[in-house]
Amino acid sequence: MTTLAEPRHTAPASEPPKVRVRRQWDKKLHWIATHSVGIAMGVIFMLPILFVFLTAVMSSDQALSSNFWPKEWHFENFIEVFEKAPLLQYFGNSILYSTLATFGALVSAIPAAYALSKLKFRGQNLFFMLTMAAMMLPPQVTVVPLYDLWVRLGFTGTLVPLIVPYFFFDAFSIFLLRQFFLTIPKDYLEAAKIDGCNEFQAMVKVLIPMAKPGIAATAMFCFLFTWNDYFGPLLYTGETRDSWPLSLAIASFRGMHHVEWNLTMAATALIMLPVIVLFVFAQKSFVKGITFTGVKG
Amino acid sequence: MSSTTQVRRSGRRWRGSIVLGAVTVAALVSACSGAASGPNGGAGDAAAAPAADAKLTLTVYSKFTDREYNVVTAGLNKLKAKFPNIEIKHEGQQDDDKITQSIRGGNPPDVAISFFTDNLGAWCSTGSFQDLKPYIDRDKIDLNQIPDAVRSYTEYQGKRCAMPLLADVYGFYYNKDMFAAKGITSPPKTTSELFEATKKLTEFNPDGSIKVAGFIPSMPFYANFAQYWAPNFGATYLGPDGQSHLADSPEWKAMFDFQKQLVDFYGGHAKVEQFKAGLGEEYSADHGFQRGKLAMMIDGEYRTAFIKDQTPNLKFGTAAPPVLDSKPDRYGGAFTTGTIIAIPKGAKNPGAAWELIKQVTLDTATLVDLSNGLKNVPSTKAALTDPKLEVTPEFKTFLDLYNGGKLLPNPSTPIGDAHLKAVNDFAEKWQAGNIPDMVAGLKQVDAQINDELAQKRAGG
Amino acid sequence: MTSTLDSRAVASPSASTRTRKGNAARRRRTVFYFIAPAMLGFLIFFGYPLIATVYYSFTRYDLINAPEFVGFDNYIRMFTSEALVGTAAYNTLWLVIVLTFCRVVFSLGVASIISRLKSGVGLVRTLCYLPSLAPPAAATLAFVFLFNPEYGPVNAFLRMVGVDGGLWFNDPAMSKPALTLLVMWGSGELMIIILAALLDVPQEQYEAAELDGAGPVRRFWHVTLPSISPVLLFGVVNSMIFALQFFTQAIVAGSAAAGAADVAGNTRFIGAPQNSTLTYPVWLYVQGFRYFNMGYAAAMAVLLFIVSAGFTWILVRQLRKTQHQEEGG
Repeated sequence: MTTLAEPRHTAPASEPPKVRVRRQWDKKLHWIATHSVGIAMGVIFMLPILFVFLTAVMSSDQALSSNFWPKEWHFENFIEVFEKAPLLQYFGNSILYSTLATFGALVSAIPAAYALSKLKFRGQNLFFMLTMAAMMLPPQVTVVPLYDLWVRLGFTGTLVPLIVPYFFFDAFSIFLLRQFFLTIPKDYLEAAKIDGCNEFQAMVKVLIPMAKPGIAATAMFCFLFTWNDYFGPLLYTGETRDSWPLSLAIASFRGMHHVEWNLTMAATALIMLPVIVLFVFAQKSFVKGITFTGVKG
Repeated sequence: MSSTTQVRRSGRRWRGSIVLGAVTVAALVSACSGAASGPNGGAGDAAAAPAADAKLTLTVYSKFTDREYNVVTAGLNKLKAKFPNIEIKHEGQQDDDKITQSIRGGNPPDVAISFFTDNLGAWCSTGSFQDLKPYIDRDKIDLNQIPDAVRSYTEYQGKRCAMPLLADVYGFYYNKDMFAAKGITSPPKTTSELFEATKKLTEFNPDGSIKVAGFIPSMPFYANFAQYWAPNFGATYLGPDGQSHLADSPEWKAMFDFQKQLVDFYGGHAKVEQFKAGLGEEYSADHGFQRGKLAMMIDGEYRTAFIKDQTPNLKFGTAAPPVLDSKPDRYGGAFTTGTIIAIPKGAKNPGAAWELIKQVTLDTATLVDLSNGLKNVPSTKAALTDPKLEVTPEFKTFLDLYNGGKLLPNPSTPIGDAHLKAVNDFAEKWQAGNIPDMVAGLKQVDAQINDELAQKRAGG
Repeated sequence: MTSTLDSRAVASPSASTRTRKGNAARRRRTVFYFIAPAMLGFLIFFGYPLIATVYYSFTRYDLINAPEFVGFDNYIRMFTSEALVGTAAYNTLWLVIVLTFCRVVFSLGVASIISRLKSGVGLVRTLCYLPSLAPPAAATLAFVFLFNPEYGPVNAFLRMVGVDGGLWFNDPAMSKPALTLLVMWGSGELMIIILAALLDVPQEQYEAAELDGAGPVRRFWHVTLPSISPVLLFGVVNSMIFALQFFTQAIVAGSAAAGAADVAGNTRFIGAPQNSTLTYPVWLYVQGFRYFNMGYAAAMAVLLFIVSAGFTWILVRQLRKTQHQEEGG
């Protein structure tokens, strides 16, 4: 697979010295130009995040003004947000939602993706097409009857309507895992089956260990999506504050009718922290995983 | 046979079974559904009041936060004098959307409080709020202690499904220091006087941008909404036929003309927007009026509490809002809305909920305490004249307006606030100069409102 | 790639036939168990709601009282009298076109730059990806704040260099572009995908082109683009679908720009300014969940489904084509 190595530029073997010096100058300029742009780009991308952090440590008054740099550093804002709103409870809800959903997605998607990639059966293509269609379907299309369904079942106001579907069918996970599994040669599985394994054992003993990076990447995607999910929780837990995950809790930093920007930004910084940490540590798998959605086939 | 044919064949078979499966699921779900959630409370029954020592928990949803939340919680807890074992769980920051959601989801609170009367018609007509008539009849409540206008915004087509919990009146605020500096001796009574005062009080920066604005015309912004201005121009929404009639109403035209006059005076919409963007949040200490960037404005009586709390050194005065020159008899009138309180459909303890509602909406002592804490207008005549009511001279203006008999509320419609959105959308576009023909634009607004109304009418 | 143990291979009568049938049956059962939860989930969470949505679109329903059948009224209303659905559809279509283009081109540009870096690749890559991890509601609020015309840092900086920044989220002509900037900032995912594809382009092809005398532009056009076109196509369709579902950022920006001292995401103020941020999914949500017009919302959903199904079909067809190419090759 890709090694993410940079495209290196090698000069042809023999050249007159003037051309070589010229080429070296060009290369240097090119290096400087590219890297300055690269640095500038990185800075620009980070600026809003930096701004979030700077606002988070401002005083409440200064947050409403146009100063960039905090006059005083109110690091206690990060503590205050926990007092203002039950952030720990929201954090717990987010963890509950994201981990259960991810677990459910893996449990249901791995066999399905295995079937799609390693087995041949009638309607296989149709099933794959349905998966793709479901992946692309805007949630607003199905929201009305689904909401109605959960009302009748009595689970609105909880995280149940958000978590349960993952234990059955998560289109994106199935798609992504299928792409991963396709790259694992069948021979290993054949060998296992010759040794007497059935499909299930082959899947568990052979495929899963081999596909660990792919599974990890899928898990991370699922976790990230559910961590930042807003529409779903708004719909199903909107009126029950106890069930809010962090993504909804952003809304709750208000005092006397106005938004407390500094606390809101402090909460934003805290909400982003877990996923940033996760990404920094698991960069390689994550990036590898993303490339597999890249539609190689 | 070829594999493509095979796949196609099997695809067809699978497709068939999928459709069959979905239909089965659909049938099962609708079969198991049964009646919608929760005990209905019955169309004509008043649930019995709980025993004096009954032990239960009442859930209350409201939008209050912080200081106001504490005041309201204290008011709600006054019920414990009569029912010492009832616990009241007051959840703040629940806006109208959440209240609706909770009713739909089948786990509504026992008592719902909303800041806005906008959605009352929709809640009433769909049965989301319970009809309070059986309770009122049973307990022989005299509704005349509540002024007419306030009574009207808590009922829809004669059906009473909410009680008013304190009222809001929108009057005129002006900066006394600025008036004195420019030699203006009394607050304007008509719109022409208002315009003149605006011209005098406005200050521009050297680069032409606005430094201090006399009176800002932007809608929707702060308390500048089409519906808050409308009563001062005598403008109404629905004609006797129940249809929207803005296009042939001279009052609405006068109002929008006035708005345009102001925008043109400032030098265009872009300038006003730029200035507006720099004004502080509506309820923060940076509020434009409180910071001296706005000389005059229309706002509710609760602003006096915020000023006292945040910028007590501000010298301000209050008065009846200026009215259209041709409608002098409207002077002394104002827009009114208010907090409303109701029992949602499916509430678990409707009987106890009603006791709580009675306590906070009709008990004079409770109302006075709430009014003093929130600086809203108490909604019963008895509370208005109670000696314990704290009345500053600025606050008195609003009480006079309230008692003046010329209040105008929004009409209760089954379309919630869709008509308000339509009119404010128009105002927004109009003030930006994006509507070349006012009458044509208003006709479109009428069509929009009538279309929404038609949705609710058919089918009975 | 067919299995070497294809049991449909050479048949021999009687005992082997029974074993073959037994094998086939066992295989079917395996497949069934493997995909049963998925199929069941598809039926319950996609199949049923789709059919039900179509059903509800022919009714008047407020989700509190029973639905009542009204035939094609909702559809007629949608295409004739209802005032804002046209605006909403226009806004969403605008996003589909502009957002897609900007997102893909921008991601391609950033990825190209990263691909040429010799040092600090990991760092820059991380920095460019991080914004996509931000929760959309919070990121939108941050952007509205950053772009505040009066006291936001963006305009302050522009003023320093003598440029009048404009009203951004408070200007109906600029609000959608501002949202596009927000999305571009957060398109780290697409950047990484394109980056991987760029790095996969065989070096020899570049060298061959250079030897043929092709300059950088022509190299890009004739070597890079064709090679990464499947990924670009994916990016295009993915962005289109994203634009069709655009909800959270629109609703938060709309209410924040109105200066609404309200819970972010509350629908009391939507689409500010002047309904320029009122996207189709937002209007669907408001019609259904705020105005109690569930049946009408369902009709809107059916239309949305038809449009997104169209895009899906295109992608699936393209995917199958590349799949065949890969398998054939």
